[in-house]
Amino acid sequence: MNKLRIALTKGRLEKDTVLLLEQLGYDCEAVKNKGRKLVLPIKNTNIEVVLAKANDVITYVENGVCDIGVVGKDTIMEMGGQFYEVLDLGYGRCRFAVAAPRGCRFYDGFEVKRIATKYPAVARRFFEGKCMDVDIVKIEGSVELAPILGLSDAIVDIVETGTTLKENGLEVIEEVADISARMIVNIASMKLKKPEIEELLTKIESFRKGKTA
Amino acid sequence: MKQFDRITPEGTRDLLFEECLVRGRLQRSLANLFQLRGFDEVITPALEFYDVFTDDAAYLPQQSMFKLADHKGRLLVLRPDCTTPIARLAATRLKGAASPLRFYYNQNVYRMERQLAGKSCEITQAGVELMGAPGEKSDLEMVELACASLRECAGESYRIELCHIGFFKAIMQSLGTDAATAEKIRQLVENKNYAALGDMLAQFGENDAVCALKRLPRLFGGEEILEEAAEVFCQNGAREVLDDLKSLYRSLESLGLRDKVMVDLGLVSLPEYYTGITFQGYLSGIGEPVLSGGRYDSLVGQFGRQLPAVGFAINVDLVGRYLMASGMGCCVKSPDILVHSDKAHMAKAIRYRNLRISEGFLCEVSSFDTAEEAKAYALGRGISQLHLVGDTVEILRMAGADYE
Repeated sequence: MNKLRIALTKGRLEKDTVLLLEQLGYDCEAVKNKGRKLVLPIKNTNIEVVLAKANDVITYVENGVCDIGVVGKDTIMEMGGQFYEVLDLGYGRCRFAVAAPRGCRFYDGFEVKRIATKYPAVARRFFEGKCMDVDIVKIEGSVELAPILGLSDAIVDIVETGTTLKENGLEVIEEVADISARMIVNIASMKLKKPEIEELLTKIESFRKGKTA
Repeated sequence: MKQFDRITPEGTRDLLFEECLVRGRLQRSLANLFQLRGFDEVITPALEFYDVFTDDAAYLPQQSMFKLADHKGRLLVLRPDCTTPIARLAATRLKGAASPLRFYYNQNVYRMERQLAGKSCEITQAGVELMGAPGEKSDLEMVELACASLRECAGESYRIELCHIGFFKAIMQSLGTDAATAEKIRQLVENKNYAALGDMLAQFGENDAVCALKRLPRLFGGEEILEEAAEVFCQNGAREVLDDLKSLYRSLESLGLRDKVMVDLGLVSLPEYYTGITFQGYLSGIGEPVLSGGRYDSLVGQFGRQLPAVGFAINVDLVGRYLMASGMGCCVKSPDILVHSDKAHMAKAIRYRNLRISEGFLCEVSSFDTAEEAKAYALGRGISQLHLVGDTVEILRMAGADYE
């Protein structure tokens, strides 16, 4: 039987995915008590789990060193790449939105707007779709700070509950896209390890169907 | 101050010794395979006019091409694809030539790839094009050749995956939507994005085409997929497409390729370009297709001569990487003999070396001033004999581990 290597995005998606795998009957002991190890076997299976940062999950899967990855749609939208995006896992739900200082009329006027974001590609595509010329400024940390300090007119960022926005005097102006955790599969792996991958996908799908039914 | 004089541009690299040997061997064995089947080599320029690649059926987005301008300000590109220039040449230089035309090539393509993703911008391809031959017979010839090529390169570990773009086109015809939506649907099918595809199709209600599209990304596997597909959709010529695929599969089966060939009806790439069967080849451990091809009956017509055509290209870099990784690479051989002389006897040393070479030895001439230096070099390089040429010839056997 072929070995399957799964890359999980470290942090919340990792925990949710481990929970899902456990509910499917996989023994994730090694993943939960990983210590400093980065490659973790799932007992009594041919599956091996790798923990990585979101962008790296895509890179590993795209290059075929991992067969499967679990990564947020936000990262997929920003990075792109060649892989199969086979499942919406349903957890890690949030959305991309444009937010600006409360009460400001963002779309008014003819001057070029400046947008601060951690996701320049997503922001670029969104405003291109509106035929709007905008200046995009890449920010690494708390993007909400940019309009407060006067660096930008608005931000494009991930919004979960909206509390951070509210507390900083910002409001959602427009939704860009819904986000959730996705399972991605390397193109060659899908073909060369079809039975193993399909088994896992079917298990997850029927489990999720059972839950929603 | 020069900043970039000691590195190569991103996406390019130097190939050294073993890698060159592996590549050369691959290219020779493929060229031989192609020649034996009646294909003749063509070489097209690395520089082409941008216009060559901007026809409707051309599939490369402009941002993926390396561009420069000629002395008249006309836009040029570094060849981003090998097939289109060959289509150009078949329709122009070979306008009057009787078809079919069988071409093979061994050349680089240049594509601006996404940064920092480990992708090469310079890719060496070996490929074949069969132009002027319509229909199933030449489809079979080319798919068999694709199998034979991968077997020649990498042994029995390859897989070929077959599709026919006609199946997807038949479904889309029945769905009847605008071009932009159709393209979105196609991408979702190609990326096997089941979830988003379901959402996207919700607006069309429930009908045969919608059901078929939802199933399409999952229609991959063995021959049984063709039966399954026939139950899913058989209007607008889809039935004929599946029958053609089936007879192709049967023929491949009778050629002993049953275990090698899979079907994926969701392989719906480049529908503007491909007009019939499409196929891709995989090697285990290589995360992307190493071979891809298909039938493109309308491309040559863009250049003024209607010629149905089918072809494929092998990514020689990826196959080379596979061979090196799986220990099937080759080692660079050290010379058998180092010939050393002083300055006065150099001409004699060269004559002596030529003589040894003619006897079948790999033989290098020393560029050192002293025999000691030559000896140290021979030891370091693993050369087992040092021949000192003066008025007489003295042969020193080096105490290398392999010699003892």
